[in-house]
Amino acid sequence: MTPDQNIISFSGVTVRYGKLTALQDISLEIPCGSSTAILGGNGAGKSTLLRAVMGWQRLSGGEIRIGDAHPQHARPRLSYVPQRHSVDWDFPITVRGVVEQGRYPSLGFLRGLSRADHARVDAAMEELGISQLGGRQIRMLSGGQQQRVFLARAVAQGGDIFLLDEPFAGLDLFGCEELTHILRGWADQGRTVLAAVHDLAIARSCFSRGVLLNTGLVAEGPVGEVLSAANVDLAYRGGRCVHTGMPKAAGIDGVLP
Amino acid sequence: MSLHDLVLSPFSYEFMRRGLLSAVLLGTSGGLIGCVLVLRRMALMGDALSHSLLPGVAAAWFFFGTSTTALFFGGLAAGLLTALGSALLSRLTRVKEDAAFGSLFIVFFGAGVALVSKLPTRINLTDFLFGNVLGVSAGELRLAAAVCFVTVAVFVIFYRSVLLETFDPVFNRATGGRGGLVHLGFLTLTVLNLVAAMQTMGIVLALGLFLLPAVSAYLWCDRFITMLLLSVAFAVADSVVGILVSFHAGLASGAAIVLCLGAVFVFSALFSPRHGAIGAVRIGAARRPPA
Repeated sequence: MTPDQNIISFSGVTVRYGKLTALQDISLEIPCGSSTAILGGNGAGKSTLLRAVMGWQRLSGGEIRIGDAHPQHARPRLSYVPQRHSVDWDFPITVRGVVEQGRYPSLGFLRGLSRADHARVDAAMEELGISQLGGRQIRMLSGGQQQRVFLARAVAQGGDIFLLDEPFAGLDLFGCEELTHILRGWADQGRTVLAAVHDLAIARSCFSRGVLLNTGLVAEGPVGEVLSAANVDLAYRGGRCVHTGMPKAAGIDGVLP
Repeated sequence: MSLHDLVLSPFSYEFMRRGLLSAVLLGTSGGLIGCVLVLRRMALMGDALSHSLLPGVAAAWFFFGTSTTALFFGGLAAGLLTALGSALLSRLTRVKEDAAFGSLFIVFFGAGVALVSKLPTRINLTDFLFGNVLGVSAGELRLAAAVCFVTVAVFVIFYRSVLLETFDPVFNRATGGRGGLVHLGFLTLTVLNLVAAMQTMGIVLALGLFLLPAVSAYLWCDRFITMLLLSVAFAVADSVVGILVSFHAGLASGAAIVLCLGAVFVFSALFSPRHGAIGAVRIGAARRPPA
């Protein structure tokens, strides 16, 4: 696979929930080995787009192809990292127990983890630097470490496409830097990363490409170009209040060029 | 009183042996079910579910008399109707699942009480609510054995699905797991166990046999499998002790079992070194590092 090959392609993807349109006629290509931030305000369709790639969102129109396959047939290639707060961190499970879950999909009902499975789990924990924490209950970790446990589970799944839902949410500055470092490394290794992100500054520093949504596609391409002042204004304020002196959200202003 | 008098001689009675066996069987499957209820924060939903069995049981009694099979299917139908009904309600309307459950079960319970008050026979509401371990029939014992077998088999065969769906349903779905199916299967299993435990423990106390050992185990364990096993161990051990206590002290058996389980729970909540209250106070800081 050469880096400039496209690995995920959307053509005319539309998703409606009843009368509400969540995604409108999205057509774009995700290059293989790229790291892409999916950007947009609340309700812009970031999560819906991720769900559609996972194959558990029925499309009202259009098509998504992963390589040559329908998303549901490409599942072994997809590694998923849910939002960190979606699980109960008091759950009686160890770090290693969570990472092992990455191997579950490839196991039968009664078959235990094989030696090869354990080796993959070891390698994933090694890669994310959590080998020493294997026996710990997951509450006894910092936010950044918890995130790395989730990432290790995704690595253990063995896919080459990583889908992350708001991976930076709730991380402190150090955690964000750490995660940025990890995700950049993944892109360098030829892994494709697709993440829903709401912080534009992080999107700029961590991802090479951006997809800016506002139900429809506002812009896509290199992240710097995508996050131009005009595009951001179009996506977040609907183009209504350019230079009108209306109160602006601080988080957005801070990163405008 | 010798040890023999204290522990062994009570079981020379047939009804004591049946009661013990039934409590041990139900404790085994209930201890497993309880863990998932506790971890998925469905403890109160289990309570609602148990009450909703009443109209089904009363109707079965009305039409078919005291047949265990009829009571079983009556309770099962009512329980599943409540579970499915509230799942549908929460999907199709803006009502959330807890409110849907709360509303449906109270309607069902009301219908049940109304039915019971019209029944010609002297079916006793307190029998239904509190049961009688020492009046277990051979049929009920067979039912308990069957339900226990099915529950243990499901937990063994689908262990990983149960674990994944309990811990992280989103990830389970992302990896192709049939989360909805697991959830529905689990609700069915819960209803099966409640119905089987109805005569033995009564529905109110049956839930105690499910929940108490699970919460106690939760306070000691950092692994799912250990929590399951410890929960079953608590349930079985306390069933035996509870039945003996009830025999010697002349207490209602279900209540005696629940009180023993309660003692273990209070002890665990206070003294568990890492997750108990006293440990937390002694460390002097908040129990958990900031998330």
